[in-house]
Amino acid sequence: MKKRARELIKSLPSGVPGLDAVLGGGLPEFSFNLIAGGPGAGKTTLTHQIMFANATVERPALYFTVLGEPTMKLLRYQQQFTFFDPNLAGTAIRFINLSAEVLDGDLDAVLKRIVAETERASPGIVAIDSFRTIGGHKGVLDQGLLDLDGFVQRLALHLTTWETTSFLLGEYAEQDQRSPIFTVADGVIWLSQDTNRNSVVRKLQVIKTRGRAPMPGLHTFRITDAGLQIYPRIPEQTQQRKMQKRERLSTGVAGLDEMISGGVIAGDAVMLTGPAGCGKSTVATQFIVAGLNNKESGVIAVFEEYPEEYLARANKRNPGLKKMIDAGKLEIIYLRPLDLSVDEALAAILEAVARLGARRVVIDSLSGFEVALAPTFREDFRESLYRLVGTLTAAGITVFMTAEVADPFPDAPFTSEKVSFITDEIIIQRYVEIEGELQRVMAVIKMRGSDHSHEFRKYEVTAKGIVVGDALGEYDGIITGVPTLRDCGPRRVPASRE
Amino acid sequence: MSANGRETARRLISSGRTGRAASRPAAAAAASACDRLSRELSWWFGADGCHALITRALAQAKARHPALGEIQLRSGAQPCIDGLEKAIKTYGDAATAEAFEVMIGLLVELLERLIGDDIALKLMDQSISNNVREEA
Repeated sequence: MKKRARELIKSLPSGVPGLDAVLGGGLPEFSFNLIAGGPGAGKTTLTHQIMFANATVERPALYFTVLGEPTMKLLRYQQQFTFFDPNLAGTAIRFINLSAEVLDGDLDAVLKRIVAETERASPGIVAIDSFRTIGGHKGVLDQGLLDLDGFVQRLALHLTTWETTSFLLGEYAEQDQRSPIFTVADGVIWLSQDTNRNSVVRKLQVIKTRGRAPMPGLHTFRITDAGLQIYPRIPEQTQQRKMQKRERLSTGVAGLDEMISGGVIAGDAVMLTGPAGCGKSTVATQFIVAGLNNKESGVIAVFEEYPEEYLARANKRNPGLKKMIDAGKLEIIYLRPLDLSVDEALAAILEAVARLGARRVVIDSLSGFEVALAPTFREDFRESLYRLVGTLTAAGITVFMTAEVADPFPDAPFTSEKVSFITDEIIIQRYVEIEGELQRVMAVIKMRGSDHSHEFRKYEVTAKGIVVGDALGEYDGIITGVPTLRDCGPRRVPASRE
Repeated sequence: MSANGRETARRLISSGRTGRAASRPAAAAAASACDRLSRELSWWFGADGCHALITRALAQAKARHPALGEIQLRSGAQPCIDGLEKAIKTYGDAATAEAFEVMIGLLVELLERLIGDDIALKLMDQSISNNVREEA
């Protein structure tokens, strides 16, 4: 007898950016799903996005409203989203009110109506909003939970038999997971809102999907005028860095290139650390400019000032940056919402990288990034940054990050211990007092897999950028911030004072 | 009332005066259109939603047309109109028909404000095509 090929479950695109990846490839066709979450979690909007992405006049979506949000209001509010196409409402997406049947408390009548409408329209998608109100209505409760179990079972069978992908929406809490709907459902998507101080972070979790391997964990999402946008948690597997050619990239600062044996290694994460005003952003911008001069596009993610201000300042030293933006070679992205998730930041950076085909990325600064994160993510900043940098460098992108060290003098650490472990190269910039003047010095304190200078070298921030000078070989105690001449002979007088 | 509201109301009423119903008196045709529209509205918004919409439109129209003073909205699984015969007897067929046309026009305008022009138009079009199908 000829063996039957395995039935492969097709996937429907959800139409929700990021959700298909979380679901393991899309919504399993003909599945019976529960979209659960508290009030305002985004259940209705998510379902509408799915319907508008899939419904056609030939295979419409039926949206049964029950005792929750009246259809009139639902239409009024949902059409504010850009995915809502009024041409599809009423034809490809049909709204049917079930309140009369539910108010009668007759589950058989509810099922009969749903089945009749399904039979009549042959829909590809069926949604029932809010399913919880069916199970929670007094008339239904009077019939007993056993009837509800049977109703859910029969509903699931009918809808699958009619080859519909269905969604039951409901306001459920953790303790409701014993409800029969959770057992019968092929997929359960849970939406939640976490409040921490003044920040609210929306999260999505795929608790269950039959026939799929969803991405585990909580994924942050945002609701904008385009609907839901999911930021899939950075998957572990992409953090494996590929072996690549160890090409050297110029930092754009000639003296610094000399200190690191010709340039940074492509695909490395480089941290520039130092106190305020020492020129970390200037070095980072020169790194981007060096790439632009070499026809390599770049992305700068700024957290502490508006892109216009950043550009105006950077453009003074590097005229032509504005033109590079206009030419699509450079993008300055602004990420400062204070309720940001690391996955959202990564998505924004990766999108910009993909748009430009960028090979160089600057994150300016890590402290600004930490502040921009929602408090709940600040607690995991190290882990978050590890995932972010790992994903970027795994894609072969060279990342420069600036990090402010509050006090540059004796007891201060070279870098923030929280983040230095994620970097391949660390360059410190410091102020020192020499001959009664505040001067700037830089040194390379870490460079994985490469020789580098161990000297402290003076540098100046000039109108054209960073200019690295000589090593301070004659001084001891530079690290303390107050170096002394090693030679006890006559003190040298700076040339400018002669 | 807007020209669009009035025009849509006329289209809805005339769609119920085709085929076997072509010779139906104007007021009866208008009231019938209203009943059929309430069926469509109930399908979309439920009986309560439909009732709320027609009640509002009727209240507004009553202020302009005394012929609607006798008209009552009966609630139920599908709200329907009562008092048509009395209105015709008191105010005549033409005036009653005109009053219903205004009420439907106001309902169209209300829908446009609440759910947008496009969806309101689609809902009315579906009601019209149902009328045509039933009368054919």
